[in-house]
Amino acid sequence: MSAVLLVSLLRDPSGAERLSGAEWTALIAAARAERLIGALAHRLAGMVVPPRVALILADARFDAETERRGALWEADRASAALAGLDVPVVLLKGTAYVAAGLSAGVGRSIGDLDILVPRGSLDAVEAAILAAGWEWVKPDPYDDAYYRRWMHELPPLIHRERDRMIDVHHSILPLTARRRPDVAAMLADAVTLEDGLAVLCPEDMLCHAAAHMLADGALEGGLRNLWDMHCLLGDYGEQPDWWAALEARGQRHGLGDVVARAARLTHHLYGTAVPERWRGLTLADRLFIARLLSRDGWGQERRWLLGQAFYIRSHLLRMPPTMLARHLWTKWRKGYRPVG
Amino acid sequence: MKHALTLRVGPAVFRVGSPWASPLDALARLYSGYPDASDEPADFTVRLRPLKPWRRHVRPSIFITGDHSLADAAPMALAHGLLAAEMGMNLQMALGWRRHLLLHAATVEKDGRALILSGESGSGKSTLAALLGERGWRLMGDEFALVDLAGGGLWPFPRLVSLKNAAIEAVRGVAGEGRLGPLMAATAKGDIRHLIPRPEHVAAMDRPAPPTLILFPRFGAEDSAARPVDPAECFVRLTQASTNYVALGEAGFRALTGLVSSVPAVAIDYASGAEGIAMVEALWDEAR
Amino acid sequence: MQYRVEPGIAWLAHELGPMTLLYHRRSGITHMVSEPVPQILDALNATGPADAGAVARHLAAHFDLSAEGGIEAIVAARLEELAGLGLIRIGAA
Repeated sequence: MSAVLLVSLLRDPSGAERLSGAEWTALIAAARAERLIGALAHRLAGMVVPPRVALILADARFDAETERRGALWEADRASAALAGLDVPVVLLKGTAYVAAGLSAGVGRSIGDLDILVPRGSLDAVEAAILAAGWEWVKPDPYDDAYYRRWMHELPPLIHRERDRMIDVHHSILPLTARRRPDVAAMLADAVTLEDGLAVLCPEDMLCHAAAHMLADGALEGGLRNLWDMHCLLGDYGEQPDWWAALEARGQRHGLGDVVARAARLTHHLYGTAVPERWRGLTLADRLFIARLLSRDGWGQERRWLLGQAFYIRSHLLRMPPTMLARHLWTKWRKGYRPVG
Repeated sequence: MKHALTLRVGPAVFRVGSPWASPLDALARLYSGYPDASDEPADFTVRLRPLKPWRRHVRPSIFITGDHSLADAAPMALAHGLLAAEMGMNLQMALGWRRHLLLHAATVEKDGRALILSGESGSGKSTLAALLGERGWRLMGDEFALVDLAGGGLWPFPRLVSLKNAAIEAVRGVAGEGRLGPLMAATAKGDIRHLIPRPEHVAAMDRPAPPTLILFPRFGAEDSAARPVDPAECFVRLTQASTNYVALGEAGFRALTGLVSSVPAVAIDYASGAEGIAMVEALWDEAR
Repeated sequence: MQYRVEPGIAWLAHELGPMTLLYHRRSGITHMVSEPVPQILDALNATGPADAGAVARHLAAHFDLSAEGGIEAIVAARLEELAGLGLIRIGAA
């Protein structure tokens, strides 16, 4: 099973020296589908691999470097656009990892720029972003109304010349979700980097990554999210009082159980060093693991129904059931199909 | 994935998978003269996928995907499965190849030097390349020109040549029926048949050549014309013709500026295949 | 308004006739520019952090410029555009 092989090589690259041509092909297809080819390529740097595989992995490292450069440029442009406002602008996710030089950023594939701003500053931020050359992606009025009322971010924006997207968040979970993270604390405790960009404090980075994956998402890209968390926990885990601080911060954001689940999953998959109490798997965890490992050697997710169950679950987490029915009915009526 | 085939063309190895046998049977037959790559790791995976699970058997419809895919790609009929597989390979190269600068261009070689015919679908580049390949030129490729990032040489990528509509008869007349693949009628781009490159051109797929002339052919003009293209214009046109210039960053910049600064370019308008051939050969003789 | 170039090699330049191609390394973006932009960039490189006036004076000292009065305005406009593209930075540090 290619997803299992991928996870085991990320965990221990030495297994790479015994793979056949066909096994490499399957592994690479799965890694690309999980957006982990860059991370894998870095883990395997220096290992003895067939010549063509060496070229493929070198290409993957090259692409990750290109994405890193692009992500930092977008952050720089957003920072320039918002320079006139007296507003804290905090980088999130992949861009934050590379800006802060964290191991989670090594080989990372980065799509859009994600930033967090105070909700009260949204209008000013929106105006400044539009003035600096970004424009709306989807003018569908239903989506727009839904976004503005219920979501934790503005509707998507894309830069008209650079063709790159920016997601402006004002919380880390949708307003319709049951949990209420303390966004004010996240902004107040953000860390400023050398060049003036800001990122979340380490505990909040973990809480956000866990929330993004488990409390908000359909588990798509789950293996990558967990790899991010494995790297973050690796970087910070040795610090004194880290685990107590992480647990306390998780509780504060109403994400204690989510952080615990994430820790159990990364420990199981990637062997992350975690406290004793987070080393077992619950029954529900095992369902998550099955979903996470469903990628095959052709890059397809094999357990389609399981995927659908998670998609509906993720919508349930975002919206109460009656709203869900109305939203999906309106979406399906217009021919929208969930990615499966 | 029920059926699979691994192919090497020039520097790239593709693994193509399909739940239906017919597209891969056609692919295997047409590429039978190519080197065996079955044990090689693949640079890219191409997947022909049913549009919906139930469209595998009922009104079968193919969605082309793989390592790289476009969410809004138009689905294709199973009868055009061979074309779908070819397009799938093109898509992987266009989005994922990093070892050379890629230009949408045909390349042919004579006396150790190469000619680039740059143009989009419909420009006539594939037809010109196919005809030149039957007249003593070596066909290096009809879809992508591969420019070396260090030395600027061109590397062969001789896939099946895609011939459309009237070009099919024109090429069949010189190459013969045995070198053509099945007719795919009424595709989005009209009728299509594929030409198998000559065996000696397939055998030479690892032999590069330096470029010495760039042409921008335009088929279907009323009056034939040839006009030099200055390096600045050539640069702009080739960035538009390149699928990976941006992704290559500094290496792409160096390779493309090197190419346009050292190789002359001419835009040609022509009304018929014969006229196009004549213009190409005349310009080639002048450039020596 | 002061402008400056980034430290190190900020861009690669390649002349193609009257046009100059600039590959901006930090962004990976290729720009195609013509006179007086390459000259302005070279001047800013030579002067260190400077405003439009200082750049204009540097240009006047090194080139035969005909329209003396309008130079600073032209330079100011180009500098603003270049800063908007991120090719040069705003401020002295």
